[in-house]
Amino acid sequence: MRLARALALRLLFGLLSLVFISFVTFVADELAPGDAVTVLAGEKASQEEKDRLREELGLNRPWPVRYGEFVVRAAQLDFGTSYYGIKEPVSEILKRDLPMTARLALMAIALAALLGVGLGTVAALWENRWPDRLALTLSTLGVTVPNFVLAPLLVYVFSLQLGLVPQVWSPVRTLPDISYLILPVVILSARPAALLTRLTRASMIETLKQEFVRLAIAKGVPPVRLVFRHALRNAILPVVTAVGTSFGFLLTGSFIVERAFLLPGIGRETIEAIQQGNTPVLQACILVTGAMFILVNLIVDLLLPILDPRVREAQV
Amino acid sequence: MKARDLFFWAGVGFLGFLVLLAVFGPTFRHHYLDKVGLPFEPPGARFWLGTDELGRDVFARIAYGARVSLTVGLIVQGLALLIGTAVGVIGVYAPRWISNPVMRLTDGMFAFPDILLAILIIGVWRRGMVPVIVALAITAWPGIARLVRTQVASLRHREFVQAARAMGGSTVYVVTRHVLPQMMGVLLAVSMVELAGTILAESSLSFLGIGIEAPDPSWGSLIDSARANMNAYPLLLLWPCLILSLSIFALNFVGDGLRERLDPRSR
Repeated sequence: MRLARALALRLLFGLLSLVFISFVTFVADELAPGDAVTVLAGEKASQEEKDRLREELGLNRPWPVRYGEFVVRAAQLDFGTSYYGIKEPVSEILKRDLPMTARLALMAIALAALLGVGLGTVAALWENRWPDRLALTLSTLGVTVPNFVLAPLLVYVFSLQLGLVPQVWSPVRTLPDISYLILPVVILSARPAALLTRLTRASMIETLKQEFVRLAIAKGVPPVRLVFRHALRNAILPVVTAVGTSFGFLLTGSFIVERAFLLPGIGRETIEAIQQGNTPVLQACILVTGAMFILVNLIVDLLLPILDPRVREAQV
Repeated sequence: MKARDLFFWAGVGFLGFLVLLAVFGPTFRHHYLDKVGLPFEPPGARFWLGTDELGRDVFARIAYGARVSLTVGLIVQGLALLIGTAVGVIGVYAPRWISNPVMRLTDGMFAFPDILLAILIIGVWRRGMVPVIVALAITAWPGIARLVRTQVASLRHREFVQAARAMGGSTVYVVTRHVLPQMMGVLLAVSMVELAGTILAESSLSFLGIGIEAPDPSWGSLIDSARANMNAYPLLLLWPCLILSLSIFALNFVGDGLRERLDPRSR
């Protein structure tokens, strides 16, 4: 019963965060100086023209009404139409951009988890010896070297000098997609991988000191089985939570990577929307990115009781 | 001398160089906006780091970028310290009906990805240095507030604070004279590391083209334009990447070193 209540509370908190983001997204636009109508009608438009446009866009009603409408329509994935270009519905734009960002993020988090848990485990098993020092140096570099420095440097080495992979994404691709995405994914995963390495290492060192591990050694459990079945299964739990928080880095990192490699995703769309003053697109992009962040962290939190009997029992 | 000390003093030295570069560098040789040479001139006696795609002096632009980074970083950290300390103290000393919602809000903002919020703020406001500073200050204070809150909460029950209380000191007096001075070292150390984060964030925004506005240079926008000209002249990429990475390293080493030196508990 208490577990159910804890989960319900967590769900409610997720929902509240979503409302909070939607409100911030909406209000931020209200507080902004400058006006969509002026942008659309042009500086020279007469007052009547502006009024007509304001009426047409529904911008003349009080803000609580418009916020309510904004939420109801956002829940139906209706974000209005773009101010510019062919004025296509924002949901169409999102449908086009979301797969790229999602693909990048999922590949990067998978790589980061693999690298982080792998390196962290190796570092813990050889604590204070050269594999450990190597892993720690790599993770310090991964945390400190920013991804917008890493991106051009890796492009210089692997595209310009070695010619192994294409320099940027292009609408017409001659190679399989993965060869265009490999560098962006590696760069995107660098920071989360570094953080997960440190965390896995610390957690694994702690676990290896515990009695059940010593017992397993005494009982003659083969080393591979000892590491994977006994130690890692216990050490991995804090790492799972960290995967969720790393997702935040991934989302912001994808802004950088999408710009550096001209990838058509949410990040690039957001920046374009800012540069054009395209409010509906900007609002939708921020809302969707924020919602993805909340959702992933919610899933991770809900997953934890399934993975860890201690959490499950503590709450029952 | 141990390797850690070496890194610490190297970091201090580099930060000193950075401050000198930011203060005197932009006025030193060429103006950062003037086209003083041909495009892509190699480093030499006239242009120490060469010229960029428009024939502007790269050294002058890097130096001005240092000024931008340090100005934004220091103002943002100053604001974050002020707001964060105030909120952190409120979180401990204010009545629960105030402190609870305030700390919930702080936690919520702390969990939200920084750059995303900054992008939103800049997106609906405008580009330029002032919006960047405001946006980064808004994302920077919750971290400080959480730190101050835990520190103040643990100091609150120490004898010397209790004694000041017993002698009739008011809350404001006890907090400003006895509690906060205890935390100066920790706050200074944390600010160094946070400063690295702020400089990175400013450069990220400028790299994305929504930070400091062209033609004024920031390390982030220098990296972005060097990236765009990478096929023609890759050397241009080296300087801003190098100085940015070294600054981040230096701030982290100095922050860690300060924490060890100033916080008696970590010794």
